[in-house]
Amino acid sequence: MRFTTLDRLKAWLDHLAQEADLIAPREVDGHVLYRRVASADEVLLEYERPELSAKEFLFPATEVILRVEQKGKDVALEEVLPERQQVLFGVRPCDAHGLAVIDALFLHQDPPDRYYQHHRERTVLVGVACERMWEGCFCVSIGGGPTDATHLDVLVRPGTEGGFFLQPVTPKGVAVLEGLEVAEPRGEPRPVEEYNPPVPVAASEKWRALFEEHRFWMRHGERCLSCRICTYVCPACRCFDLTDRVVDVRSGVTRIERLRAWDACTSPNYRRVAGGHNPRPTNWERLRNRFMCKFCYYPDDFGPRGCVGCGRCIVSCPVDIDITEVMQDVARR
Amino acid sequence: MSDIETLTHQLREEARRLLSEKRVDCVMGYEVGPRGRIRPAFLYDPAEADHLVWGPGCVHNLVTYLHNKKKPRRRGEEPPRVAVVVKPCDSRALNILFAERQVERERVFVIGMVCEGVVGPDGRPAAKCGRCTDRTPVVYDVLLGNPPSVEPAPDDWSDLARIEAMTSAERLAFWLRQFDRCIRCYACRQVCPGCYCPTCAFERDDSLWVDMGIEVPQKYVFHLGRAFHLAGRCVECDECERVCPMGLPLSLLNRCLVREIEALYGHRAGRQEALTPMLFELGPEGSPI
Repeated sequence: MRFTTLDRLKAWLDHLAQEADLIAPREVDGHVLYRRVASADEVLLEYERPELSAKEFLFPATEVILRVEQKGKDVALEEVLPERQQVLFGVRPCDAHGLAVIDALFLHQDPPDRYYQHHRERTVLVGVACERMWEGCFCVSIGGGPTDATHLDVLVRPGTEGGFFLQPVTPKGVAVLEGLEVAEPRGEPRPVEEYNPPVPVAASEKWRALFEEHRFWMRHGERCLSCRICTYVCPACRCFDLTDRVVDVRSGVTRIERLRAWDACTSPNYRRVAGGHNPRPTNWERLRNRFMCKFCYYPDDFGPRGCVGCGRCIVSCPVDIDITEVMQDVARR
Repeated sequence: MSDIETLTHQLREEARRLLSEKRVDCVMGYEVGPRGRIRPAFLYDPAEADHLVWGPGCVHNLVTYLHNKKKPRRRGEEPPRVAVVVKPCDSRALNILFAERQVERERVFVIGMVCEGVVGPDGRPAAKCGRCTDRTPVVYDVLLGNPPSVEPAPDDWSDLARIEAMTSAERLAFWLRQFDRCIRCYACRQVCPGCYCPTCAFERDDSLWVDMGIEVPQKYVFHLGRAFHLAGRCVECDECERVCPMGLPLSLLNRCLVREIEALYGHRAGRQEALTPMLFELGPEGSPI
């Protein structure tokens, strides 16, 4: 554990912003979001859980992965791999946990997802511990916690007498801390002020057994709008779609980009197949899939649960769909 | 009993009656969730009638859920009959759906609520209520509550002033900044009673206009396109703005068009059961239309 002062922390952040892309929580028109910052002055150090997770910096909402240039019979293919180095400062432990969930599919399967892998290898995660659990948070129930360093490279904890305690977790974390000027420690890491009540997490078999209980899922899902908020704010949702777009056609040369963009299983057209059939035609069937994926399919297929308890989907749902309410109802059955 | 308690009691009795007499298969109203938040509720059993609540937290426009009730539950059956609780702004969306032949009038039992405004997420009166001139729904089968004697103030369009004060370059910069925050979650479209195309023009796999990328150009085209598709059809319920997780001031886009359409055609969407004149009325050469 190292200790430093506010000024020295900011100097270190300014240094990081010179060396790599520095991503940090920042205020954007009244919203707290992870954004690229030019200097430490833009970085929020007292903030709640940012409204969107940090996944967009490793699994971008939209990414060109291939460029194609066709000139007569000649076709040139160019794979586009991300090469930027980035430091994600201020991520919450749940954000890092979410990336560990995505790793199970995108990194630890054969073959890995090359685009995600490139981002991942070029990213350092410097987390800042939460001083309390916010509205909707239930990370503790799902294997995480407000001060959990497990999936981070460095954990930062504000001190009781000012300053910050920094705990390197991985060799990457040790390396990134080399530029930090430390100070004589004062006080201790601030304790977590408030924990939310625990939420029961039922085993995958229990979820699976409920699949056919249509009334149960209708009751929870009939008010769902089939928008994509919950999946897009989620640090662990990772569905995407691919398309080719023509960017230029002139004097015999056609240039095409292959794009991958986020997709969402809650969306009405997500499961539509050729010919127009949709095996998940209703909102509650789609919502059931989202929950089954998180607590049944994903853990059974890839290991970790597809939920980290960050609570973002709960606070951002405009019709009060509450994953913890469903979890409690499943556990009670 | 306070007015709210009386209204809630009357609402529950009405729902109980409709379900027990089998006048409808489902009552769409509001309930309180475990976190104390008010949310849409779908009742099928008269014993559930006491779940219903009424109050200034009943913000959702439930008319949008009628689109989920257009098909029969089982093949060969009739589509379900439903009762829906509406505020005055919500009720105007009913007229749109009736005029556009989306829902048959006789399949819907409309529980109209006299409304003195709902609240926003901050607990203060919602912006739309400050300019609303209606206290009773424009269409209903039963009306609950007594209309207040005080006339509401007329709509002065003051919400558009900040946009109009900008130069066109400032306005472009303002909207690009807003669209930059958009995450293309489509919540604005999904919640809108007027957005019911089976495949949205902006989500087609073979769309000529916009691909699936979540970048500013696609978001720009989507939001402006959606606003135009709602010209003369938007009932100003502001649900798009309420549900937006990124706080885009979408009502400004819609309201600009509402005012244009009213000035050109004397048409305010949903006041009567009528189609938008934007697509169906052509003026003589040289006329402003």
